[in-house]
Amino acid sequence: MRRVGLVGAGITDCRSRWVEATYWNLFQQATKATLEDAKVTTDEVDSVVYGIYNDIFEHQAIPESSLTGIIGMAHKPGVRVTSGGATGFYAMRAAIMEVASGYSDLVLCIGGEKATDCFDPVSKTQTPMVIDTIAKSWDPFFEYPLGATASDSYMQVCMAYNDNYPNDITDPEIRATIIEMLCRQGNRNPYGQRRDEKVTKQQVLESRWIIAPFLRLLEVCMYTEGAGGLLFASEEKAKEISKRTGSPIIWIKGVGAANESYNPGRGGLYKPLHRIESDRIAAERAYKMAGVTPKDIQLVELHDAFIAQFMVTMGELGFVPIGKTRDLVEKHIMADIRELGENEHPKKGQILINPSGGLIFGGHFVGGSNMFSTWSLRREMINRSIRYGLVHGTGAINAVFGGAVVFELE
Amino acid sequence: MSEMVLRPEFNLPKGTSEVLGKDGKTYLQFNSSMATLYQQTYGEHSRFFLALRDAKLIGSKCTQCGQVMVSAATWNCPFCNFAEMKEVVLPHKGILAQTAPITIFPSQSFIGQAPFCRGYVDIATQEKVASFLPSRLRTTTGIPRPGVFVKGIELKLVFKDKREGSILDIFWVPMKEIPKKLRNKAPLFESELNFENPKLPKLKINKNLKPVYVKLLQSLNEMSLKVLKSPRAQKDLAGKKYRIGVKTGGGDFTFIIEKNKMKVEPKVAKKTDFVIVANNPKTFNDWINDGSLTDAVIEGKLWLPSREAFIFLPMLDRLPRSIRRDGV
Repeated sequence: MRRVGLVGAGITDCRSRWVEATYWNLFQQATKATLEDAKVTTDEVDSVVYGIYNDIFEHQAIPESSLTGIIGMAHKPGVRVTSGGATGFYAMRAAIMEVASGYSDLVLCIGGEKATDCFDPVSKTQTPMVIDTIAKSWDPFFEYPLGATASDSYMQVCMAYNDNYPNDITDPEIRATIIEMLCRQGNRNPYGQRRDEKVTKQQVLESRWIIAPFLRLLEVCMYTEGAGGLLFASEEKAKEISKRTGSPIIWIKGVGAANESYNPGRGGLYKPLHRIESDRIAAERAYKMAGVTPKDIQLVELHDAFIAQFMVTMGELGFVPIGKTRDLVEKHIMADIRELGENEHPKKGQILINPSGGLIFGGHFVGGSNMFSTWSLRREMINRSIRYGLVHGTGAINAVFGGAVVFELE
Repeated sequence: MSEMVLRPEFNLPKGTSEVLGKDGKTYLQFNSSMATLYQQTYGEHSRFFLALRDAKLIGSKCTQCGQVMVSAATWNCPFCNFAEMKEVVLPHKGILAQTAPITIFPSQSFIGQAPFCRGYVDIATQEKVASFLPSRLRTTTGIPRPGVFVKGIELKLVFKDKREGSILDIFWVPMKEIPKKLRNKAPLFESELNFENPKLPKLKINKNLKPVYVKLLQSLNEMSLKVLKSPRAQKDLAGKKYRIGVKTGGGDFTFIIEKNKMKVEPKVAKKTDFVIVANNPKTFNDWINDGSLTDAVIEGKLWLPSREAFIFLPMLDRLPRSIRRDGV
């Protein structure tokens, strides 16, 4: 297997709605930004991997077909990846594998989403229709007719976790503290959707309930329209591009993925509701491949769909003990951006988590959210000289899809 | 006309409209849809849904490892290289595998059904390995609220009287709410239980709450006067006619809403549309101070007898905000 390096990244502005652009233009914007970042032309790119979550949001059954020419990838191989919330991660995995296998030397991995063109004629707003479209991710026989939503599904896992590990994610103050910290981080992201917002702990605690006792309105991720691109290169090509740009290469050290059974149950390989095994297994695989442990990693871009899940996932990734994820705040394991400023390395024993503001403040254009996370991770690794960083992705019913990539700064 | 897959109001007029961009320029948007109609086969799941239609619950049991799938999602065991699975008839009782979330804000297709509760039921409890059945959960004690559907409670399977072959043909009710004589009845039908007139929960009368109640009545009366001066509040109440009894641990009252006005009587009137219950009258004081009665329901502080009572809450929740916005 060949070494693979990340040599370029670019994202669009993250917006609740882009009336100025269709997904064609968003993908083109992100491609342009990515190629300019790496100082490469479209001719040099061997192939493209698209991350697009669902056809209904794009309003086209093969949306990648109309993108190929627009983003300068005509006559090149192109494959679309779609894996629920974890689409971005799995698209990255496919792009990395393509380089590692020797099939291509330079692969563009581009993901994005339109979402809020969906419209509910009854409430005359977008949200119920967006939620309904996402709910179509559940099977039409058993789950969808019951009225499942993404929030319910992830909260089912958090409530089950709380059944088995009480007094951990229950403290609203802890969750609100994390939100406040993420908000401050999101304020630094020039492309972040909520970069101008100031959300206080008190506002979180007073925001309306979505699902008690773990989900208030200000504890949930956004719907975003936008796109993000990454360029993965073989060792030789990466070194050549790095000389051109003067930017260090970020090497892919480990990639781990795991999808749990769709069906929850007891024993066997059924999905245990009280854990996110997909996250745990994926991370263990990524660490093993990279030859690192969580102690080596001080920068994480985590797929924070919901803040209670953020805490559980940090436990599953091995950064804090399961059942004691509140240590993130109580033991100051989550680094405070006010202390780090723009260029400081996190202190020993601390982790900088979601400096982009994450999916709650930065942006969540589903097919490319993990590319967005990787764009931020690369920026922070270079600016702060952080050796190892991790990007996490999750998705599907009850968080059954999970993925993790460990990166190393050259 | 029978119920249709797409509701008549779920549509948009053909055409385009203008929308303003962040850059101040005008853009066009077009109304369209991506609706596909289906006659989707239940295929291998048909056995399960045919059984439901016959008021039976079946699962599939592996002939090699003995694990049971509920529902019978497959007839070939995924753990034993697809060994044959045989039909097993399942009991009409189960255990709630984990505490279940309550849906308050559903997706577009389920608006009008909230609040509802769905969870996973462990039915093949005698088996070492078994999957859980996703199901709707219902209570005979009012609308679902925290503390009812918690991990480990025993549940009774209930069938709708009229079934079509759908996962919504069944739901589960806490066994302790089922009259003793019906607990072993199988099948048990919805019409055999009383969901329409739930008993009021027992109130904790507390002398210390009396002053809170007195202050609440005073605040409510002040609010009634403010409504008279607030066009927004009057618009909120326009066309509404309700008498809602309220019981609290400090004392009772009745909200009377009619002719765009709100009035409060310091007792539960003889005739009410419904009665709601909160142990602490402060729940309503919080609401007056820009809080939310919907949030109080979600937190379990306010008991409601029915969905109809729940639908009424957003109107009440708007009132304090409307008064504030009108500067009254």
